[in-house]
Formats: sequence, C-alpha cells, structure tokens
Amino acid sequence: MGATAHPALKEPHMTEFIIPSLLNLIDPLNIALMVIGLAGGIIIGALPGLSATMGVALMVPATFAMDPSSGLVMLGAIYVGAIYGGSNSAVLICTPGTPSAVATTFDGWPLTQRGEADTALYTSLLSSAFGGIVGVFFLLFLAGALARFALQFGGPENFWLCLFGLSTIAVMSPGNMGKGIVSGAIGLLISTIGIDPNAGVPRFTFGSYSLIQGISVIPCMIGLFSFSQVLFLIGTDKTFVADYNPRPGTFKRTAAYLAGRCKKILLRSSLIGTWVGMLPGAGGEIASIIAYNESKRWAKNPSVYGTGCIEGVASSESANNAVIGGSLIPMLTLGIPGSAVAAVILGALMAHGIQPGFKIFSATGELAYTFIFSQFAVNLLMIPIGFVLCRCMAKLLTLRLTFVAIGIVVLSYIGAYAISNSLLDIWVVVVFGFVGFFGGKLGMDTGSMALGVILGPMIEENLGKCLDLAHSVPGGLPSIMLDSGISKVLVAALALSLATPYLLHLKKLRAQERSARCRCADERPENENA
Amino acid sequence: MKFKAVFPCLFLALALIAAAAFPATAAKYPDKPINMVIAFTAGGSSDVQARIMQKYWNKYVEEPWVFVYKPGAGGIIGFTEIAKATPDGYTIGGLNVPHIVLQSLAQRAAFNAESFDYIAQVVNDPQCVAVLKSSKYKSFQEIIDDAKVHPNKVKIGLVGPLSGHHLMFLEFNKLYPDVKLSRVFYKGAADQNAALLGGEVDLIFGNINDVMRSIDEFRVLNVAGEKRNAFLPDVPTLREQHIDIVSDIRRIFAAPKGLPADKLAFLRETFKKICNDPGYVADMKKAGQPAEYLDGDATAAFIHSVEARDKALLKDAGLLK
Repeated sequence: MGATAHPALKEPHMTEFIIPSLLNLIDPLNIALMVIGLAGGIIIGALPGLSATMGVALMVPATFAMDPSSGLVMLGAIYVGAIYGGSNSAVLICTPGTPSAVATTFDGWPLTQRGEADTALYTSLLSSAFGGIVGVFFLLFLAGALARFALQFGGPENFWLCLFGLSTIAVMSPGNMGKGIVSGAIGLLISTIGIDPNAGVPRFTFGSYSLIQGISVIPCMIGLFSFSQVLFLIGTDKTFVADYNPRPGTFKRTAAYLAGRCKKILLRSSLIGTWVGMLPGAGGEIASIIAYNESKRWAKNPSVYGTGCIEGVASSESANNAVIGGSLIPMLTLGIPGSAVAAVILGALMAHGIQPGFKIFSATGELAYTFIFSQFAVNLLMIPIGFVLCRCMAKLLTLRLTFVAIGIVVLSYIGAYAISNSLLDIWVVVVFGFVGFFGGKLGMDTGSMALGVILGPMIEENLGKCLDLAHSVPGGLPSIMLDSGISKVLVAALALSLATPYLLHLKKLRAQERSARCRCADERPENENA
Repeated sequence: MKFKAVFPCLFLALALIAAAAFPATAAKYPDKPINMVIAFTAGGSSDVQARIMQKYWNKYVEEPWVFVYKPGAGGIIGFTEIAKATPDGYTIGGLNVPHIVLQSLAQRAAFNAESFDYIAQVVNDPQCVAVLKSSKYKSFQEIIDDAKVHPNKVKIGLVGPLSGHHLMFLEFNKLYPDVKLSRVFYKGAADQNAALLGGEVDLIFGNINDVMRSIDEFRVLNVAGEKRNAFLPDVPTLREQHIDIVSDIRRIFAAPKGLPADKLAFLRETFKKICNDPGYVADMKKAGQPAEYLDGDATAAFIHSVEARDKALLKDAGLLK
C-alpha cells in the first residue's frame, strides 16, 4: 500500500538552515542546557525506576518558560543521557536503570563480577555515543524516506516482529530452552492481567480494583532484576558487591578494542536500533534485546556471550541509543512518536504550537535543524560527561554491600511508586523480587520472563488488529498475516531464529568432530529442540 | 497561685474555642495547595491542557495546584481517585466524557456520573472523519456509497474499544444499518494516525486535537460537531451533509460529590474567569485544544444526557455489562 503519489520527499533548503542552527547551538544557554540535561539524564537513567520517559516528562513544564528550540535541546539531552545512564546501574549492580538496559545486564554484570567494571562502563559509554550518532545521522539525511518505510509496519508486521523478539528466548537460554519457554509463558500470562485490549473488559483482576490497570512493566522489571538482585547479594557472604580495581589505560584499551574488533557489531546493532526505533510502538527495550541476540547469533564463538564479553554490552548499548534518532524520525515528519519518550517530546512540541510534518524541515527549519544538530553535539558531549559520572558511580562498588543493598531497595520502591503513584506497584516489586530470586534458584530465566511481560500486550494488541482486518479480505486471517513482503521476511527470520539453537549446536558438534575426528560420535547428544 | 492561674486559663480556653470555631466558618478557601488529579500520563494532552489552566489559576488564586498523576486503564484509575477523595475542596481533577460514562456502564468502574460535583467543561473536541490526502474518497457520502456496494471492504480505524470513537461508530451503524465497514481498534490516537498514513485503514474517526498532528497528510471530510470548528473552518459538519451525528470528547473538571456549596461556587466562579481570560483562550488555540466553556450545571446536565444516549447505544450493540 501507500504507493499513491506523495509529494516529492525533498529536504527543502537544508543548507540554508545549517549556519543559523549551528549558531543557535553555540549559544551559551543552549550549551549549558545540553550539559545539565545530559548530566541530569544520566543520573535519572542510572536510578532504577526513574526512567527516561519520566525524566523527560517532568521537565516538559519547564520548557514552557523557554523558547521552543532551547526547550527541545534540553529534552533531547535528557533523553540521550537517561538511555545511556540506565546502563551504569545495569553494569554495576545488575539492575537496569531503564527498561532499555535489560540486555546490558547479560554481559555487563558478569564483567563487573570479574572485577572489570571499568571496561564495561567505558564500553557502554562509547557504544552509546556511537549508536546515538548513527541514529541521528539517519534522522538528518533519510528522515523522509524512512518515515514512509516505518508506516508499512501495520498490525501483521508488528505481530511478527514481536514474535521474532520473543523467539530470542531460544537463543538466550540455549542449554535450558524448556525452562526459558516456561519463564516466557509465565511472563505472557502475567501480561494478560487488566483490561482486555480488544474487548475492553477487565480480566484476571479477581475483583481487585488496583489490578484493573494490569501489572506495569517497569515495577515488574524492577522486581525481577533489582529486588531479586538484592536478595541474591545479601545471601552471599561478600563484603562488597564486586571487586573494583580500575587500571590506568583501560579507557584507551576499550576504545581501541571497540574500534578494532567490534566495528561490525556496533554498526549492525545501531542499524537495528534505528530501525526498531522508527516503528511506532516498539522501543529501546526490544531493540537492545534483538541487537544482542543478532550479535550472538552471528558471532564466531557464541558461547562467550553471557559470561561477560565486551561485544554483548556494545551491541545492547549502541542499539538502545540508536533508537533515539530512529524514534524521532516519524515523530518529526508525521507526528507519530516512535517511543514513549518521543511521545512526550511531541506533546511539548504541540504545546509550543509547533506542527509536526514534513514541513517542519522548512517552515520551522531552524528549530528542527537546531534540534538535530544538538543531538550530534549531545552524543559527543556525553563522552566526557559520562566519563566523569561513571567513575563517580563506580565508587558504589567500594561501599559495603549492606549499604548498597539498602540503597537499591529504597530506590526500587521510590522508582516503582513514582511511576503512577500507586502502592500496588510496590507490592509488584516485592512479589516479582521473590519470583525472580526463587525462580533463578530453579533455573528459570528472568530475562525471558521480562520479555514475555514486555511483549505480551503488544502481541495481543496486534493480533487483535489482524483479526479485525481479516473481515475485509476474502482470504481471512491467513492472507492478512502473510500478505505483505515484510511479513514474509519476518516469518523467515522467525523460523531462522527458532532454528538457531539447533544450528549453534550443529556448529559446536562440527567443531568437536574436527578436533577429535578419529573418535567416533556415539555419545552425540540427542536434540529434540529443533 | 491557683486563683492566679484560673483567669489566664479561662482566657486561653476561650481564645482556643474562638480560634477553633471562628476560622472554621470564615476560613479563606483555599488556604493550602489543591491536589489536581490527572488520569493520564504527564506530558499527555490532558496534562498539557491542565497546565495551561494552572497558569491562569495562579493569576486569580494564591494557592497553587499540585499535580497528581494517576494514569492507567484508560483513565479509570485516576477518575476513581477523584470520586473516592474526601470532598473538602482540596482534591479536584480532570474527567473525560464519554470515558467516565462508558467506564461506569460497561467496565465495572467504581464510580458513575453521580459520583462527582462538576466544576466546568473546558474542552469540546469533536470527532472528525479523515482520509489520506491521496484517497479516492472526496466526501463521506462516497465512502457510504462504496461500502454499500462492497460490504466490509472499507476499513475504518478507531481508538477503542469502548471509547468516544467506538460510540460514534455505533451511532453510525444505527443510522446506516446496511453500510458495513470493517472496524479496526487501535490503542491510541498515534497508532490510529499511523495506520491511516500507512494505508492499513481507509478512513478514521478521530478527534481534532489528534488529527491536527498529521494534518499535512490528511483530508478531513467532516466534523461531527453541532457547528464548524475554528481549527478547520472550511470543513463542513456531518449535519450539513444531512448525516445526523454529533460526537465529541469533552474535558471536564470535577470534585468528589458532596463538596460544600461555598467551595464549589468558588471553584466554578474561578474556572469561569479562567475560561474567559483572553490569554487562556490564545494559549489553548496555540496548543491545538478546542476550548469550549460550560458552567457546572450545564456540564452535569450534558453528562446525564450522554449517559442516557450511550446506554441505549451500548444496549443495542450488546455491550452493556
């Protein structure tokens, strides 16, 4: 669809706006706003529960007193800072500060446990900046064309994309797929609590009024990751969270490693991030997980993922920051936000009387380009600011474990409560903390469960759209589901993804055979998980 | 010593009684900040509107508002919060119609239209019929004619279910029982706009405030208002096309039922002043919010009429729980 003649996607007189926009940027007020926004954003992002959405939303009223471009510059800086900041707590205490940083814990935390927290922190800083710049690059040069492409993702395409995201459970828990699937299914089940998105009636609320809004994703994740982590930490006999022995030159070594060995991973993850960011409805939490799994899938040695490898942190962090540029593309060009934070920024734009649309690049071009260029500047400024802040935050590891544990619990409660000022959310944190802790003891996978909780509502909503749309075509549901080219590609990717554990297993077997060619393979393990 | 103490004690007691009794009757309202409950997320359309009001509230009243966000379940959580608050004048909040009516009729909400004392209506955001600029449809009548010939072929996007959009669709079905449109529900206005832009649906019923976000790409065929809207002065109403549908979403401010009459009168008076302030009117226009003031009594009467109409519509559609 959408092949009808649209006005040419020209970038009218972009060059005219470059000089005034850059001049706007070097305005001391705007520089100060960028620095303050970044630092504030990083701190908000690093605190579990205080998410990027909340940070930006809190500052929207403050922009009413500024001129629109300064306000936008500041909101953009907070957005970038908060998404990066979420990785700090993910690395240091295995607690994603924002939902986007879930995949960062997979490898960031093992690195910290090994005493290499500084490597993990610098990796996430540099990858975030790289991903952010790639995202903004697409925003600057290809916004028009990409926005049209993103619109091709309707109900069926989003349905398959979410299933594809869910299929990463197979890669995430290769040795233990059964438990991974059970964890994911429990997550999906939890996500059905609340108002049915297609019929509008409450279900599984057991008469409780508070449950009608469902189990919110963020308190649930705080419980699964942070609270259960506290239970785990106080169960150990360690005095500190992890050893921390920063070595001089780590920053340089990390930068060299990323530039040398991780080029492909960084680029691929950033492209995935930009692409997922563009899609309305899918945000950083999905992008980082997909990017992580693609890195793992194509790696020479996938088994190092999850044991603390730099590549894992790099792919997750570059993807979630690339989402920012991506999510701003449909927001600026079509008035359709690609993420929850972009929706808040859109609200701020509209409140200033600025009309989104392709015209935004001509009618209010100076504002649009000031904003876009500020995103470049913010990503570069983030390197020094993030460097200073993450070194301060790493001091956390030198505090006694008991203090850190108390701190995490307090922050978890505050963060969970602050989302919708509801006491229920605190109970959600406690309950899911125990679920995560005891589930972990049973070999359940909290990552899979979180994936189920995040993706469940989106799968259900898009399936509902497909069922609605099925009335309008003679072929019914199957033809709606498989009609478009994008759907077919996604179904193929889904099949490939489900086959991955089997393929990885084959790869391992072949390697074993090569190393021990003469020995016969009579102890070859059965494989029923194809 | 004892005697000496009696007089001061007596005096003190009298003074205390006086202090307790006197300010209670003559205390200035409000003498502390007022909680403003918003049932949607910070930065959303309802929040932006309330923030504009706050700017002018501060002009007339000394005590500020404290914004309390209680989002969730399409507003039910926040609306319940307002309904269940102590009616002392220090908790008020924003309501949306027909949301509150639908939630009490079909979603087992713990409140109904009787649970509130209404202060004022501030926004009347009519539904529009919108298609893409490149669409072959130039009028709503063409869509109706096409759908008569090709039942279920024409797809309509709605925010829903159980929303203002859904009700307008039910009303349309009642008016044209032989016109079959395939309806697709979307979670919010942004998804609905994206679906129209991407060609997943052929037309949408959407509010002016939402349709204006992508107005460069849309052609608005009709407005479902009683009269034309200032944001789209060239777009005829459905009634002008002899299609008798009026459908809209209203933003209303209310307090829990049982507010003392003097406090309610003060709130109603202040909101009236705000709504007639030229600065407020200009700010609302800039933010794309179609302002329309109704006083508290008119608002209450309106809500009761909506309740009666929607009950009948839902009953006919078999959606009444």
